[in-house]
Amino acid sequence: MIRATLAGLLAHRLRLLLTSLAIALGVGFIVGTFVLTDTLQAGLTHSIAASADKVDVAVLPPPGGGEKPALLSAGDLAAVRRAPGVAEAEGLVRGGAALLGKDGKAIGDVATTGVSVIGGRLNRTQVTSGAAPSAADQVVIDEDTARTRGFAIGDTARVLDATGAPHAFRVVGLFDVGVDQQLAYTGAVGFTAETARSMTGEKGFVEIDVAAAGVTPERLGGAVTAALAGRGARVLTGQELAQELAKSNGADINVLTVALLMFGLVAMLVAALVIYNTFTILVAQRTREMALLRCIGATRRQVFGSVLLESAVVGVLSSALGLLAGLGLGTAAFAALRAFGQNFPTTAEVTLTPRTTVLALAVGLVVTVGAALLPARTATRVAPVAALRVQTGEHTFRTGVLRVVFAAVFLLAGAGVTVAGVLAKPGETALYAVMGGGALSFLAVLILGPVIVRPLARFAGWLPAKLAGVPGRLALDNSHRNPGRSATTTVALTIGVTLMTLIAVITATTRATYTARLDEQFPIDYLIAPQFASMSEAGATLPRSLATTLRSRPELTSIVEIRSTDARVTAAGRSGAATGGTPQSGGGRRTAEVGAFSGPYQPVLTAGTTQGFTAGSALVAADLAGRLGTGQGGSITITTPEAGAVRLKVLGVFDPDTVPLPEITVPEQALDAYFGPLADVRLYVNAKDGVAADASRRAVEAAAQPYPTAKVRSAVEVRGQFDEALDLVLLIVGGLLGLAILISLLGIANTLSLSVYERTRESALLRALGLTRPQLRRMLSVEAMILGLIGAIVGVVLGIAYGYAAARTLMDEVLFRVPVGQVALFVVLSAAAGVLAAVLPARRAARTSIVGSLAAD
Amino acid sequence: MTITGEGAVRSRTAPAAVVATGVTKVYGRGDAAVHALRGVDVRFGTGAFTAIMGPSGSGKSTLMHCLAGLDSVTEGEVRIGDTDITRLGDKRLTLLRRERVGFIFQAFNLLPTLTAEQNIRLPLDIAGRQADQELFDMVIRTVGLGDRLKHRPSQLSGGQQQRVAVARALVGKPQVIFADEPTGNLDSRSGAEVLSFLRTSVRELGQTIVMVTHDPVAASYADRVVFLRDGLLVTELARPTPQNVLDTLLKLEG
Repeated sequence: MIRATLAGLLAHRLRLLLTSLAIALGVGFIVGTFVLTDTLQAGLTHSIAASADKVDVAVLPPPGGGEKPALLSAGDLAAVRRAPGVAEAEGLVRGGAALLGKDGKAIGDVATTGVSVIGGRLNRTQVTSGAAPSAADQVVIDEDTARTRGFAIGDTARVLDATGAPHAFRVVGLFDVGVDQQLAYTGAVGFTAETARSMTGEKGFVEIDVAAAGVTPERLGGAVTAALAGRGARVLTGQELAQELAKSNGADINVLTVALLMFGLVAMLVAALVIYNTFTILVAQRTREMALLRCIGATRRQVFGSVLLESAVVGVLSSALGLLAGLGLGTAAFAALRAFGQNFPTTAEVTLTPRTTVLALAVGLVVTVGAALLPARTATRVAPVAALRVQTGEHTFRTGVLRVVFAAVFLLAGAGVTVAGVLAKPGETALYAVMGGGALSFLAVLILGPVIVRPLARFAGWLPAKLAGVPGRLALDNSHRNPGRSATTTVALTIGVTLMTLIAVITATTRATYTARLDEQFPIDYLIAPQFASMSEAGATLPRSLATTLRSRPELTSIVEIRSTDARVTAAGRSGAATGGTPQSGGGRRTAEVGAFSGPYQPVLTAGTTQGFTAGSALVAADLAGRLGTGQGGSITITTPEAGAVRLKVLGVFDPDTVPLPEITVPEQALDAYFGPLADVRLYVNAKDGVAADASRRAVEAAAQPYPTAKVRSAVEVRGQFDEALDLVLLIVGGLLGLAILISLLGIANTLSLSVYERTRESALLRALGLTRPQLRRMLSVEAMILGLIGAIVGVVLGIAYGYAAARTLMDEVLFRVPVGQVALFVVLSAAAGVLAAVLPARRAARTSIVGSLAAD
Repeated sequence: MTITGEGAVRSRTAPAAVVATGVTKVYGRGDAAVHALRGVDVRFGTGAFTAIMGPSGSGKSTLMHCLAGLDSVTEGEVRIGDTDITRLGDKRLTLLRRERVGFIFQAFNLLPTLTAEQNIRLPLDIAGRQADQELFDMVIRTVGLGDRLKHRPSQLSGGQQQRVAVARALVGKPQVIFADEPTGNLDSRSGAEVLSFLRTSVRELGQTIVMVTHDPVAASYADRVVFLRDGLLVTELARPTPQNVLDTLLKLEG
């Protein structure tokens, strides 16, 4: 029995290859994911270890609870240096130090990070060219920033100190930031230790590195811990430090792994459908073979086993193939990252772990054998007498009651859950509900597939059949002649198209909604905001003289200044129950942004009025009011440095999504009285009517030029950045889903070639009756095109419906948009892909000799 | 072997629909070469019903495939009308089959997805020709399929299916119809019906038919029977009867 199965497999090598390819691609993707992430992880661990190796003991600040992370003081450093066994100890300084680009403006949205580069054996900064800074007027710049901003060794670089005053330095070298994500994001400038302190204005250290004088790191650690007793600092050995760094960096890699595996999962699902369909067709075609086996004494169990054995062989072969493909894929992806990505460690060799190997084989085998279970069961139902029948009849499909009932149940449940999700308040729960509803609806479509395939084929095939003449008409008939087979074939494609459409609809809807909101809340031409001083603090400001300069420009008008600061706020008179709302636990007391605006601006309120907006009153953002359990007419108390606790009457409430004011807005004179003079945090600027865009832009930039950290952004740019981000998402997701679509095309090719094989005599008859080879090829192309169109149509309908539902759960008041062009493109591409999938089977069919096929059994 | 009787005379005098000259067909090469046809000269007169007979392996099916342009010849020439089909490429050959040749096969004659009528019109549709409605109606009447036109092959009996195939071959008014064991799968009554239709179409429509068969009774419906053995034309009979066909066959095999 086993020998018969294996002989059968060998006899159909091509079929085996096509089937294997579907699984191999899915497995390959999963393996590729693991190879890539394992390699990244290994590289990370390697470079962290190399770096941490230089340190015997590291002291870290106590885990900070406040907004600003705690630092180690000079006293701590002195204490460490006094500890026994310490050969050397250096404190590391890190803080915002904005590097100015060649245009005189600070680079990036966040200031570059200034770090201290220490000499001696504790130096962990990898200077890759030039030298480390050895004098107060020397700096090193990270390689990536130097490349993108055009800095070279010998250049003069200007850097802002903590007060915003520029200083000139000579670039003496370039360095690699290694695995440090923060430095990679902001860009980095390295100074001597002393300069680093003066430039960043940081009084303390983010880390103290210690070298041992002939004692073990553990003993040294003990000594340092003793020296720092009671100060809360954490003392780690170099090895522990490496582990800690690897863990925090590894988290990012895990996110990448999970995200990629989701796409791998989709690909495997599609592959499973392809395998299921292939085995179903094979079993149907080999009815007589199976019956013969039963005639000569094979038991049902043996027939079942032979189909499963075949699937197991396919599974193992394709997994092995997938393993190789995945290794190549992972290596290629790694090489691509090496070429484009700068913050990935590039030291490691490509890694194929035993875990990956075992997992790949297991996944491939389980999916293949699992998908073949049902077809194998069908095979056992073949009666021995079937061997004696001359011809197996045409497949007739009757819509079973059970099928309709099941489909209806799933459809109703899916629709119900989806509607519930859509109607619920936007949020995670609603999104999960819609995802669940989507899965149920998809199952309904899967069950209903054979029923809807016929009308869909008529619909999708109407035009092709008209245009392609007799071959088109025959193709249309063939496309739904075996509804079950057509349905499974097209559902595989539907999965990919559904997800593509879904993403396209969500991005288009997000884009439209966001643009509309931008128009509402940004009825302004330019936004000027300061560059963030560092990653951890957002309290950067702009001097008010900038607003004065802007107001003096004739091209500009309606300049609005926003000033704000953080302050403690409590809901006043909680017993007074201003609104009757009960504050959430701890919700009565929090920190909020308190500020004022000056300039011509009329906020739109959702409740209340700006009438009587004088000292002692405030406009409050709706979400904050809700959290404080207060509302219009209620009262809040803010804690201020100049006026102590101030009780404010809530005069009006506004929607923070559309009104760009501080959470608690007070009249501007009142703000000065509460907090003293504050600088601007944002400026809104409009061009005068009739001033050309580039003229107003020049005016704004000229005004901002003396202020290196003042970042000018036009509404158009804000939109452009958002558009770019959305396009990138669409591109990446589309690329990753491309794999699932590729696998489903293999499925179409496989189904078609098996159908062609089944219809060999029919094709020969048509050829004898005068169908030319091109016409026969066209017939099969149109058939595949119709299959592609069916898959695309169902996918587009599901994708649009669930794109709408998902968008509703993500945002309030969505402006639903269907990207008609993109969706039409998906449909056209699916049709074209179908034609592509038909190329090989069609060629084979057209080349077959008529006489040989007519004589064939 | 002597050529006897009127049939032979008629086949010489009537303009030939199909002429084969020195046709050889070799499958394979070298030691494995199989000589299916070893130089066959034969003509088939217009408006005649000719049967090709011979023992198994005599090359009768191969000859028919070569005459119909379904298979290529190794050497020799085959003319349908005044066209030498051995010189045609696949495309021209296909067009020739489409316009000038009709086929009836032993089994699997019809497309399962099409109705009887669609099957009958298929060659015309492929050629983009309109059916001669008068002829169509007459053929349908003759083969008695009037009430079966909307049925699909799976809903028809074997005899009915074969009658649909005959109708399909006739409505295109081809220069010649090739029938390959058209009654091989039928019971004797259905077979007799189909053969009567073929003979009627020759008598009344002047249709030319070349039929391969191994059944002496089927062959007796023809005007003339040619016999093949080992890839060579060995003899022929005019006005065949089942008895003299059988006798000739027995002689050939013996």
